[in-house]
Amino acid sequence: MTITTGQVDQDLVTLMNDVFGDYAEHHPTSTDTTLDREFWRRLDDLGLIRLTGPEESGGSGADWHTAAELLSAAVRHAVRVPLAEHDLLACAVLDDAGLPVDDAARTVTVLDEHGTATRVPWASTSDKVVTVFESGGKWLVADVPVGDLDVTPGANPLGEPRDDIAVDVNTLAATEAPDGLIERLRLKSALVRAIQVCAALDKTLELTVQHASVRTQFGRSLSRFQAVQHLIADMAAEAALARTSTEAALTAAVATDWAGANVPFLVATARSCTGHGASVVVRNAHQVHGAIGTTREHQLHHFTRPALTWRAEFGSVQHWDDQVAQAALSARDDLWGLITR
Amino acid sequence: MSTLPRLVPPCSPEAPELRALREEVREFLDDQRAAGAFTPHVDCWISAWDEEFTAALAIRGWLGLTVPEEYGGHGKSFLHRYVVTEELLAAGAPVAAHWVGDRQIAPSLLKYGTEGQRHAFLPGIVRGERFFAIGMSEPDSGSDLASARTRAVRVEDGWRITGTKVWTSGAHRSHALMLLARTSPVDPEHRHAGLSQFIVDLDSPGLTISPIHWMNGEHHFNEVSLDEVFVPDDRVFGEIGNGWKQVTSELGFERSGPERTLSTFPVLAGLADRMGRGELPADPALGRLVARITGARQMSAAVAGQLQRHLPADVAAAVVKVLGTTTEGDIADLADLHCDDTTDPGFRDLVQTAVDHRPGFTIRGGTNEILRGVIARELGLR
Repeated sequence: MTITTGQVDQDLVTLMNDVFGDYAEHHPTSTDTTLDREFWRRLDDLGLIRLTGPEESGGSGADWHTAAELLSAAVRHAVRVPLAEHDLLACAVLDDAGLPVDDAARTVTVLDEHGTATRVPWASTSDKVVTVFESGGKWLVADVPVGDLDVTPGANPLGEPRDDIAVDVNTLAATEAPDGLIERLRLKSALVRAIQVCAALDKTLELTVQHASVRTQFGRSLSRFQAVQHLIADMAAEAALARTSTEAALTAAVATDWAGANVPFLVATARSCTGHGASVVVRNAHQVHGAIGTTREHQLHHFTRPALTWRAEFGSVQHWDDQVAQAALSARDDLWGLITR
Repeated sequence: MSTLPRLVPPCSPEAPELRALREEVREFLDDQRAAGAFTPHVDCWISAWDEEFTAALAIRGWLGLTVPEEYGGHGKSFLHRYVVTEELLAAGAPVAAHWVGDRQIAPSLLKYGTEGQRHAFLPGIVRGERFFAIGMSEPDSGSDLASARTRAVRVEDGWRITGTKVWTSGAHRSHALMLLARTSPVDPEHRHAGLSQFIVDLDSPGLTISPIHWMNGEHHFNEVSLDEVFVPDDRVFGEIGNGWKQVTSELGFERSGPERTLSTFPVLAGLADRMGRGELPADPALGRLVARITGARQMSAAVAGQLQRHLPADVAAAVVKVLGTTTEGDIADLADLHCDDTTDPGFRDLVQTAVDHRPGFTIRGGTNEILRGVIARELGLR
């Protein structure tokens, strides 16, 4: 189960699953995550690193639906690589700003007025950080070698690098950002995490169904207990709602090149539904797994902890609820018009 | 890749033709509301019966949209019907009079009815003149329709039916009842066998209709008792003994429809409007519910697409109904949490109605607990 409208090439999907599956088999997921450069090169050889980049600049020319498949495949195998940060966010900003893209591994961030940014995904393991900042009333973009930045390493609860950075923006060679770049980056970042949460929820559901089918209690399999069936049915419904809302946002974004009037509302909706869905899915999964699911040795946490971690990145669930609420309040007496726009 | 089935199909953007229809319906509704033809109702598809409004819709060609022209209909797709009903429900328009005929009876007649039955009933449904009720549930049967005890006994030229049906919405104002009855005794090994459907005139001798009042005093449900009611052979619906299959084949339409997400939409819209104007404090809980309704309607629309393609959607429909009806109820509750003695009476009444209707949302059409079982079965847990 993946975020797709069904038009993604199935051979490519199989390739994605194989490459992550093979890697996961030989590299147990750890909470000390660094970028495995050897694996990064392997993904590059397969054309998966710069999946959505234009072919004339060395990309694979794929669309966001295909990219969503790639992100989902990585999540399902609990492989942590900055594919989204590099391709969908950082390199896309360079493309957007008309700047050249080379082989460097990248991430992206928006700097505040002091030239700093906190908890930048994968900054410490990147070659370059695409920085977006405001100067003299204009938004500027600079492609900065990581060595030119002051980086304080950090990590999220999964061990994925989330680093603080600082730089004197006056030293940066910057290009003016086109209109709407910041808003597009904000929406893309938010939707990337929604896609990842959906994949984590689906995998959590799958593990829970498997566990309930094989685990015996009181003389019969867990799956025979109606109480267990209801816990799992609610997980399935929430995961389906998360996926539907995320797909709807993705479809609208792709169809309008992120410029559609309803895209911000649909992205906020997706983040709200995935965020609240994670609460139900994670709680019920652990309840069905019993104590074993709470242990480091069990694989469940490779999916439940990411679901909760990622839903809190690029805006909290509360933040996205607020965004939806604000849109509803602004719509005044035309809430239905907002929902169906 | 996952080993689990995908429960809900992907959604696709609305076709321009449907968008145009949506705008047309919206304009009509704005005019009607401005003219005072209706004020928005909660649960309008069950409780807001207005034959004049139904007639106005019929004139616009918005009843019997999927009925072929040879039966007086408009020969449009199920998605056209979906758009029209969605707009009507979001506006809280009074649609109860034609609801059962348009939603259930017309498609069933097209699937299982005889030519004679189609010509006898479809044109009246399309014109908004002939109203139907559904006689499925019985005292003590709840969601377990297979336990029906109403019996039809073979007599010369027809059947004699005896038994009691409950929760028949609008029977006191309708012309005919689509009734499920047992035509052979219960076989514990095959509980779904031996059931049949009949079209029963509601003015038949031996038939009594008594009101079942909702807890707030409203009357839309009824108990219909049949004492040796004669039904001629040409009112046998579909095949004798095939009733279970006929009844369940339409559940995808019934459970995934926009009425499973939008019963309290006027309350949600009223809440947003009041918070927007500062009459009520802004509450992020509103955002969560608006998001869920948006997602649930995207699901409902995706299932509509699936049904239009004649693909199975029973499980997807169960997912829509569980999520949609829960959210409808949560909207009523959130609004209630914001109400007090200072709330304006109009809105307070709307919210009170929503709160009073709330228990029905997750019961009617199969309780959510039964539907969770349907979902669990699809996941291989039963």
